[in-house]
Amino acid sequence: MIRFGDAIILGIFSLLVLCASASGIERFPPPDFESGYELPSPTTPSPREDIYQYVDVLVLAGALAVSSYLVLRKRSRRPIFALMVFSLVYFGFWRKGCVCSIGAIQNISLSIFDSGYAVGLVTVAFFLLPLVFTLFFGRTFCAAVCPLGAIQDVVLFKPISVPGWAESSLRLFAYLYLGLAVLFAATGSAFVICRYDPFVSFFRLSGNLNLLILGACLLLVGVFVGRPYCRFVCPYGVILRQLSRVSKWRVSITPDECIKCRLCEDSCPFGAIEKPTVEWPRRNLAKSKSRLALMILLLPVLTAAGGWLASTVGDPLSRMHATVRLADRIYLEQAGQAEGTTDASSAFRATGRELKELYAEAASIQSEFNIGGWAVGGFVGLVIGSKLIRHSLWRRRADYQPDRAGCVACGRCFEYCPREHVRLNKAKEANT
Amino acid sequence: MSGVKAESADNIAEAKKCSPWYQAAAGSAVVGCVFSLIVAGLLIENHLHIKILDPVRSERLEMMKLQVIEQPDGERLLPEIRRLDLQIRRSRITRQQFSRRGGYLLAGGLVVLFVGLKSAAVFRKRAPAPGPPGDVRARQVREALLARRAVMLGLCVLGAAGLILTIKAGVDFGKAQTAGSSYPGAEEIRKNWHRFRGPGGLGISAHENVPLRFSGKTGEGILWKKPVPLPGNNSPILWEGRVFLSGADEKSRQVYCFDADSGELLWMGEVGAVGGSLGKAVEVMNDTGYAAPTMVTDGRRACAIFATGDIGCFDFDGKKIWQRNLGVPESAYGYASSLEMYRNLVLVQYDQGVAEDEKSRMLALDGFTGQPVWEVKRPVPNSWTSPIVVEIADKPQLITCGEPWVIACEPGGGREIWRAKCVGGDVAPSPIYAGGFVFAIEPYDKLVAIRPDGRGDVTKTHVAWIAEDGIPDICCPLSNGKLIFLLTTEGTLTCYKVSDGGMVWEKDMKAGFKASPSLAGERVYLLSDKGVMVVIEAAAQYKELARSELGEACFASPAFADGRIYIRGAKNLYCIGGGD
Repeated sequence: MIRFGDAIILGIFSLLVLCASASGIERFPPPDFESGYELPSPTTPSPREDIYQYVDVLVLAGALAVSSYLVLRKRSRRPIFALMVFSLVYFGFWRKGCVCSIGAIQNISLSIFDSGYAVGLVTVAFFLLPLVFTLFFGRTFCAAVCPLGAIQDVVLFKPISVPGWAESSLRLFAYLYLGLAVLFAATGSAFVICRYDPFVSFFRLSGNLNLLILGACLLLVGVFVGRPYCRFVCPYGVILRQLSRVSKWRVSITPDECIKCRLCEDSCPFGAIEKPTVEWPRRNLAKSKSRLALMILLLPVLTAAGGWLASTVGDPLSRMHATVRLADRIYLEQAGQAEGTTDASSAFRATGRELKELYAEAASIQSEFNIGGWAVGGFVGLVIGSKLIRHSLWRRRADYQPDRAGCVACGRCFEYCPREHVRLNKAKEANT
Repeated sequence: MSGVKAESADNIAEAKKCSPWYQAAAGSAVVGCVFSLIVAGLLIENHLHIKILDPVRSERLEMMKLQVIEQPDGERLLPEIRRLDLQIRRSRITRQQFSRRGGYLLAGGLVVLFVGLKSAAVFRKRAPAPGPPGDVRARQVREALLARRAVMLGLCVLGAAGLILTIKAGVDFGKAQTAGSSYPGAEEIRKNWHRFRGPGGLGISAHENVPLRFSGKTGEGILWKKPVPLPGNNSPILWEGRVFLSGADEKSRQVYCFDADSGELLWMGEVGAVGGSLGKAVEVMNDTGYAAPTMVTDGRRACAIFATGDIGCFDFDGKKIWQRNLGVPESAYGYASSLEMYRNLVLVQYDQGVAEDEKSRMLALDGFTGQPVWEVKRPVPNSWTSPIVVEIADKPQLITCGEPWVIACEPGGGREIWRAKCVGGDVAPSPIYAGGFVFAIEPYDKLVAIRPDGRGDVTKTHVAWIAEDGIPDICCPLSNGKLIFLLTTEGTLTCYKVSDGGMVWEKDMKAGFKASPSLAGERVYLLSDKGVMVVIEAAAQYKELARSELGEACFASPAFADGRIYIRGAKNLYCIGGGD
């Protein structure tokens, strides 16, 4: 005997399934081949039906909420790990790594610079939700929701610490990568983050061999160096780092006060625990002030120099754009410097379009790259200058605390803190 | 103290190591690892087989394909090729399936490995044992210093990479776009004589100052005379100081480029036998020859086609850019349709066989690569007319003629615009466009004036008028927009009014003609088979202005330039100029 309420729930569920099926019908079905020819399966996943895309957004929002709760309230590594495995399976293997928040940077960039490009709401949600959560709760997206972070985290077995100075330098690559990814996306050249996603081949169990090797190498490095992609490459991580600095709430090692027992000192495989500092040596004070002044003066110089340098390499960078590559190839063919033709050049010639038009289009794209180069180079120069200033400053810290930008809120350090054990015991006693 | 701590931690870890849970986890990890390694090894072997050995590009298969082309009885290999090709493809698909399934197995193996390793790590987790703090201040200073140096190093690396990229600067398209265009504009074409009968195939010179008289006997008005190595009935074409023509016999097909001022043979190119024409004897009538089609140039390259179906393209320095064979054409008298160009396209009217065979086609090849850009079938048998591209109401039309259709289509893509069923027989005179009409000729029978502003079949709606007297069989018509001149092989010259087709006058020239008439200013140039150039007024009354003898048989139509006429005789190429 089915009750009335059950019947309503069953009906709603059936309708949802039917809606999903209806929206799943292809608008332009492929032709049927009488010869028995089978359509090859595409190398990229087919677009998801609308309703499942919204389900993905709901899952993302739910995962972020749960992750934030686990990190800030529950303070337990084990459920965080479980959520991370779920995200790896769902957003990675089930969703095949697309749409991901990291790649969404490019969709957003292109939509800003190309009025003809409409970015989907789902993509916007994937881009914004982690940013909003980070603004309030720190990098809880990196902790247990990002499949790229998760796949690296599960292979981390023998963490070795990367010296802070090396980490600071290596992270420059992530800033450069972010700048270039935005430039390439904004000019409509390429979505390099997706094209060179090292883990997507694993998620899809197929793909480019070179990327597969790159991914395998990163995972191999990841056995010893915690989350190398997240720390030194991830362009989205660059944005999350800055938001995490100003987040309203953030993870802490100790639940109440730091007793400076040093037990957590080596607990973070990502080098994101900042140790207490002592006063700056007085004999070096004057020299340090002069250095700081020099670095501050250097900041605009580095910004301008970076902009200039990147704008001068705008032409070679513009070869990422298919039109410029085609124009380049045609130019070489016309000049007799290239043998034969390529499929692209033959196809262009078959259109009968005037070469001047192609060259003009390529010149316009080159010009966009030169302008964009100023922005990217200036940004990287600014980052370098800021880092130099930061490393010339002396900051006072009395306790062990997570690096506000670098902490991915994985929760590993909780169990190292004796105060955490006291809290847990108290909670246990209260429950009993 | 810390030493004691570490020792006790080691003891705890050692105790954990002996636990059955740890043993099980470690064992699972080992099994997962071995399994994954075996699967990975098999996958790598499979991948190498697919990618590096690439069975689809089987050497044996390629050899057999080559044999089909090269050997006269090569077609017997076709079933074997198909069988081998199928076998190879099946093998490849099987290997791809192996890869896919192997991928799942590897993923499963890795999951077991990682779960085992993670579990083992949990079961032997060591308690934290921090070492002595050391000199914190010194460490802070050192770390800050190293960090600054590392960032500076990063800055240097980025700067160096940027400078290297700057050195490898690519093409500046801002400058490249100001260079010459890839195909000529209308004005460039108008000033030259780039195809059979010049721009639009109309036989009209843009220059009015061409010579009236010359003499082959005395050399008067003949600037130079140069022998042409191989015979050919094709007409010379001109482009800014260069004269192109082709010649061929049973064995070879050649392209010649002469200096228009000195007559020096600048270069000679060979269009070798390829593909379908390789080793096959092609029979043609002696009157037609192997090199009847006139070449075409766009000022960047020059293309020639021969009776064998071999077509080749050369740059202005004589370097062969491409050549291909279109299949030996089935033509009763030998293939004779001249080439046309539109933008970057070389247009070939390839009419052959009988209409029912559906072998005739119009095709456009990319001038730079020779690759087909578009191709449309033509419902006509073999014909000997040449296609023309003309601007009608500011839009280009490619007009062709073959029994029974006059067809106009878009030269850029081959889409048909209109067609009229109005010509029959062995059609040889090419169509022209003048005075708002397209003129087509049915040999010996009729001249048809068609309004070219229709769509679809315009036979019943757009044929303006038909004339039936003095209709030529070979020579193309000529018009100045008001009058149209028809010249028969036997020498009858007939003048009609363009507007209504009324006959204006008729004159027996008492000579035989194969070359089509041409117009320069108000003068009509008629070149007889015996090499006599008769110049008459393009007027409503017949009036002969001059008569000059070249002294050599002529079957090709002359080409006109600024103050000059280029005539191809049976054996020599002449440049006429500087005289009266």
